[in-house]
Order: sequence, then structure tokens, then C-alpha cells
Amino acid sequence: MEPLLHLDKVELYYDHVYALKGVSIDLNEGETVALIGANGAGKSSILRAITGLNPIHRGEVHFQGSRLDGTRASDIVKLGIVMVPEGRRVFPYMSVRDNLLMGAFTRDDKAAIKQSLDGVLHRFPRLKERYSQTAGTLSGGEQQMLVIGRALMAKPKLLLLDEPSLGIAPKLVQDIARSILAINRDEKVSVLLVEQNSRMALSISHRAYALATGNVVVAGQSKDLLKDERIKAAYLGGEI
Amino acid sequence: MEQIIANGLYLGAQYALIALGLTLIFALMNVLNFAHGQMYVLGGFVTYTIYAQLGMPFVAGLLASAVTLAVVGAIVEKFLFRPVIKRSLREESTMLLAAGIAFFLDAVILLAFGEKQRGVPKIIHGVLNWDFRIIMPYDRILIGALAIAVIATFILYMQYSKTGRAMRALAQDRVAAQLMGVDVNRYSMIGFALGAMLAGIVGGLLVTITGVNLGMGGPTSIKAFMMVMIGGAGVISGAIVGGFILGMMESIGLTVLSQYGDITYLVIFVTLMVFLSFRPQGLMGKPWG
Repeated sequence: MEPLLHLDKVELYYDHVYALKGVSIDLNEGETVALIGANGAGKSSILRAITGLNPIHRGEVHFQGSRLDGTRASDIVKLGIVMVPEGRRVFPYMSVRDNLLMGAFTRDDKAAIKQSLDGVLHRFPRLKERYSQTAGTLSGGEQQMLVIGRALMAKPKLLLLDEPSLGIAPKLVQDIARSILAINRDEKVSVLLVEQNSRMALSISHRAYALATGNVVVAGQSKDLLKDERIKAAYLGGEI
Repeated sequence: MEQIIANGLYLGAQYALIALGLTLIFALMNVLNFAHGQMYVLGGFVTYTIYAQLGMPFVAGLLASAVTLAVVGAIVEKFLFRPVIKRSLREESTMLLAAGIAFFLDAVILLAFGEKQRGVPKIIHGVLNWDFRIIMPYDRILIGALAIAVIATFILYMQYSKTGRAMRALAQDRVAAQLMGVDVNRYSMIGFALGAMLAGIVGGLLVTITGVNLGMGGPTSIKAFMMVMIGGAGVISGAIVGGFILGMMESIGLTVLSQYGDITYLVIFVTLMVFLSFRPQGLMGKPWG
């Protein structure tokens, strides 16, 4: 079967500094795929290449069999790909409600939007409690729930998550990990997860790619990688 | 006392409307539109032409001002600011561009309408006299009320329409807005058109009271910057508060300080400098940077 997302030898550089040196990855429909690796390994650059936030210089990106690279970032959403950027990035002076409605910006069917809204508030009851509050006043964990909820409002086929555990209290990291699992399982949303918390990423994904300096260095089933000596030494060492 | 407040409210409503347009453009594009005053003057001349010259209804003139400036704003964004922002690495480039557009519009207005002060026939006659406590011509009351109605409509539009929500999102986080599907080019153009339209509407409103002349552009831009600085740049509530504060200060100054000579704006500038040294981000503003 053709993969949902396919990156073929993608190269990307910022001001002549290489971020991706010919990366090829696949993601099948229904899968959660993790990208692990140190800071600067190129994990986030892959997401930016997919969404068109940064143009790629060589290689191709395919989504559902059609060419994706060259599409503008604002048009990617309509195809069913939604990215949750690193650092949460809520709209800080808007209410939780307006933030969520912004997620449904490309949709027009009011009844269906309402249904999605109910679904998100059911999944994240904390957001329901904070419904009219300004998003900038939420805690880090609540903001992370909000941006994931906002992305779900777009009814994505593929959800791109950039470091959802960064700067979040350990207790909430588990909550967020559970939400990602549930979103993938219950709503049949495929997930591409970028994480520095490799143990968390490997424990909730089907497959994973480990990156170093713009290249894929190890790829495989997540449960195998959790036991892989190279991965243990390089990525799981100091973490609890 | 009542008279000072009434004058301040009337002036403040006009000023707030000018500042709203300026702050909207700044919030969306990080552009300080130095040509805002000239857009206001152009709006005044359009209403003058339609209402006084062609003898059509005042409302037609006002609508023509709004539409003309919306079109001018959209063109200026699409063909001037957009390419400059795309290529330029420095923010000063857009300031120079805005200043250039100000001079250009001055020249266009001079060619098209001449350098004379122009007035229009009164839209309604009569004066309200409330026990000699408030004396105000009816046309001022009407123009003040219209300005407040436009402000209210604008706020409701920004707060509750999908387009308004998208513009707020764009102003608050450009990247996140794009990732939600907001087309930056399209909404920058809509925002610039809206901002210019507000300037045009105030021009059309105020021509009925003060008339219009070529020289009003620059000073109007400066007043608009002051209001935005008082309230906080890029914040809608700040522009409104700044507008009413400046209107009130001017009203008080013209009544209380006039006996000492023409020093109202001297006092306002000094006050503003002292205020900004304590609170550089303005009343409602987020700190710069």
C-alpha cells in the first residue's frame, strides 16, 4: 500500500547551513511515527519541510500520492495536514474558545464544527473549565492541550506534533502522551511526532526514525528501538 | 465642565477612529503607515467632491470615501508593501516606503484638488443649547455619533466575524495563524484596506465640520501616532483609549490653557514625553520586542 506521507531524499538548508541532507521517511495511514534525536538533528526541519514553512531545495514530499512540496503553508491545512508548532504558540490574547475556532478556520459547516468543538472539550475537560479565559493566562500544560485541541478542530488526517512535552510538568507529559495515543486510536488520525523525550516518543509510536545531523541514522519498530543498544546509549541514557 | 467633556467626546471619537486604522495596520504588518494622514485628507476631498461639487447626498460621499480609500489601501499593500516586506531584511524599509507614499499622495491631492481649503454645506442646521451648559451644533453631534457607531461596528466585526478573528490571530502569532490556514497575503491586504478605509471615513465625516485642506495630512499622522503611543501600539483598546484621551486633553487645553496663549499641544507633548519615559509600552500595550 502506498504510504500516506512520503519524503524522498529531502534536502533543506537555512542560510547555507544544511538542516536536512537527503532524508527519506514514510508514514502509513493510521500510524504514529516518532522522530527522535538531539537538538539540531533536523527533526523540526522535517516538519517545516512538510508544511512548507521552509521551502525544500532538493527531493520530494508526497501526501496521499500527490506532490506536496511547493504548496503554501496556509494551503496545507485544507489537504488535511495540521502542525502543532514547538513552544505551544496559542493566540495569547484570544479566549480559549476563539483559539479553538481558529483551528476550524478552513471549515465552513457550522454543525460539524460544533461537533468537533464538543469532541475536543470532551477530550480535554480542562479547556471546558477555561473556555472564556484568555489563552495567555493558561498553564503550560493547558496551553499544550489547547494547541492540540486547536489542531483537531481542523479535522486533520495527519497531525504533526513538534516537541509537545517541552517545558511541561512531568505529570502532564503523561497526560499528553495518553491524549496522543487516544487521538491516533479513536479518531484514526495519523501522527508524526517530534520529541526529545525519546522514551515517551518510542512508547506511544508504532515506528521511529532516529536522526543525527540531518540524516536518518536508525529506523525501525519503536518497541525494538526501545531495546536497541545504539538507541539506548545515544538517546535513552540519562532519561528517567 | 459639561461643555469640555462633550467637546472631548466628539473629538475623541474622531481621533479614536483614525488611531484604530493606524494600529490595525501596525498590528498586522508591523508597518507604521506614515501616509495615514494623507489617506484621511483624501477621504475628505472625495466626500467634498461628491457632496459639495456634484450635489449628491452626504451619505453617498461618505460611502465613496470609504470605498476609495479601501481600494487605495488594498493597492498600496499588494503592490508596494508586500514586495518590499518580502525582499527587505530591515524594518526601516517599510517606514521609508510609507513616508514616500505620504509625499506621493500629497502630490496627487495637490494635482487633483488644489491647495485651497475646502468646505461643504452644513449637513444639518441648528444648535443644541442645554441650559448654556452644553452648546453644540447638531451637525457635530451627528458626526460624533456616526464616529462612535463606526467604532462599535469595527469592534464587533473584529471580535465576532471569522475575518476579524483571523486578523487578530495573524497579529498575535503569524506562524500559528498560517498553520491554521490563514493566508497572510490575503488578510494583510484586507487589514490594510480596512485601516485605510477607516482613515477615509473620518476624512469624510470631519470635512463637514472643519473642511479639508492639503496641509492637514502630516499633522493628522502625528496625532494618530501620539494616540497609538498613549494607548499602546497594535492594541485595539489602546487606540480607542488613546484617541479619547487626546481628544479630552485637547478639549481641556483649548478651554483652560487658551488664556496663556496657544500652548495646548506644547503641554500635551511634554506630558506625553514624561508619560512615555515611565511607560514606554503605552497604557494597554505589550512591551516592544
